[in-house]
Amino acid sequence: MSVLIKSDKVEKKFGSFQAVKSLDLVIKQGECFGLLGPNGAGKSTFIGLLYGTSLRTSGDLKVFGLDPSSSSHQIKKRLGVVTQDNALDESLTVFENLNLYCGFIGIEYGQRKKKIQDLLEYMNLSHKIDAKILSLSGGMKRRLVFVRALLNDPELLILDEPTTGLDPAVRHLLWGKVKELHKKGTTIMLTTHYMHEAEVLCDRLVIMDQGEIKAEGSPQKLIQNYGSGFVAIFASLIKEDLQSALTHFSDLSFKEESSGLYVRGPKLENLFLLQEKLKVSAMQIRPTNLEDVFLNHTGQGLSDDA
Amino acid sequence: MTLNKLFSIFHLSWLVSHRNWTVYKKDFISNTSPTLADPALILVSLGLGLGGFIAEIQGMTYMQFLAPGLAVATALFTSFFESSYGFYVRMTYENVFKAMLTTPIGVLEIVVGELLWVGLKGALMAFGVAVVLACFGLMANLYLIPMAAVVGFLVAVPCGAIGLLATGLVHNINQFQSVYSFIIAPMFYLSGIFFPFEQISPVIRWLAEIFPLIHGVRLSQSIFWDQNILQTFAVSGSILVFQSLLVGYFSYRVIKKKLVS
Repeated sequence: MSVLIKSDKVEKKFGSFQAVKSLDLVIKQGECFGLLGPNGAGKSTFIGLLYGTSLRTSGDLKVFGLDPSSSSHQIKKRLGVVTQDNALDESLTVFENLNLYCGFIGIEYGQRKKKIQDLLEYMNLSHKIDAKILSLSGGMKRRLVFVRALLNDPELLILDEPTTGLDPAVRHLLWGKVKELHKKGTTIMLTTHYMHEAEVLCDRLVIMDQGEIKAEGSPQKLIQNYGSGFVAIFASLIKEDLQSALTHFSDLSFKEESSGLYVRGPKLENLFLLQEKLKVSAMQIRPTNLEDVFLNHTGQGLSDDA
Repeated sequence: MTLNKLFSIFHLSWLVSHRNWTVYKKDFISNTSPTLADPALILVSLGLGLGGFIAEIQGMTYMQFLAPGLAVATALFTSFFESSYGFYVRMTYENVFKAMLTTPIGVLEIVVGELLWVGLKGALMAFGVAVVLACFGLMANLYLIPMAAVVGFLVAVPCGAIGLLATGLVHNINQFQSVYSFIIAPMFYLSGIFFPFEQISPVIRWLAEIFPLIHGVRLSQSIFWDQNILQTFAVSGSILVFQSLLVGYFSYRVIKKKLVS
């Protein structure tokens, strides 16, 4: 598999603030790669570096073997971007928006209508072809941004927080489409702070915080490394009571987060026994997931820039 | 720079202009009517009203004197407002360029495209005003009406570049008011539109020569009055092209800082 993105000690500073710190990454053709991190972690800054809307301060960066600082024009011909903001032309209709972008990316005039119709059909939006953008729901606008990003059949699809603010139905629909594209061979780079989204879609991911990579691997591997098992979340429990109950369970540990007390252990039955001992029901008992890994690496507190 | 690269820049810039035209034509009547109506109102109020008290100015009626300046003033206002408030709104509130920059379009194409757009819009408006003024019998040679579009384009591009430069430098949309008060309005009142340029004090004349409007006024006077057209185009036309390139270059530099971090 050829390398599509290679980042070697890439740094980006805004004045004295370092948004990206010595980032080393390799993304291969056909991968669905995730960049996870809290708000302000440097994910979108790194995305901007890939197609030249942000220029790196130091390090070496190649996309399709080209330097985005000097060859963004050639790079952008081969990629599609689902931007974090929809950035749709609200004065225009759905068709006018897409027709305009067909021009920008160089699709022949005669092929545009069919291309637009096919992609709108693919995203279940064909009935909205003549609708004004203002009349579309949030989910429809997001699907339209996907259509816009797919117009040039991109080799690399960049999804910058693609499902933020969407209802679960639209989110699942978009995940299905991303999986289909991935299966067809499109390389995908996804930034998100939804752990479940990353777990469902990504082959491999990195967890970023304050501009640095904190962990790297497949979702399963990251969970394994953290310690697979189960987590019970107690929302209304006094810390001291829990600490005293835990003295009876050598394999259980706990962590205090702002949303409650998180007790982790390898065996499900011990968490049930803990509940009995405490005479308090856990708000939730579930297998360890990426969210636990994420919180472990990034901490719960928001950074100043979040 | 290869010919292919130049063609690609022009082609993509043209598409940026075309985007603005697609939006503009949706409300064509409401977008164009004030631009055409304002000069007609000035002509009626100043030309017919004030003109009644002025016997003759440089051997012609006051309306004849006023007409050429009104055509270029239209190009000035059209281009400045489009490239300042209009561009700022597109950039900051509508995020038009954020999505555009994910395509092969770069900042250079956006800036050239915007200048091309204000140039064409200025040409259209100056031509429209010239037609209205010609209806009042204020154009010496009706065959020269299309030349008003050329003058409109030549004036609108550097004035639009001033607007873009301001967009790159302001910190919020309210600051355009200062640019209007200290640059655009003085240019409008002190560039020989309302009275002969020679009557202004030499210092102000010297300052006005730095800005585009006086050169546009001279071009417009040459075609409205059918006098020294070639010579005026050679001198004032060249100055406007030079100003367009110079201010356009600096506006590209500051807009790049806004769009690329």
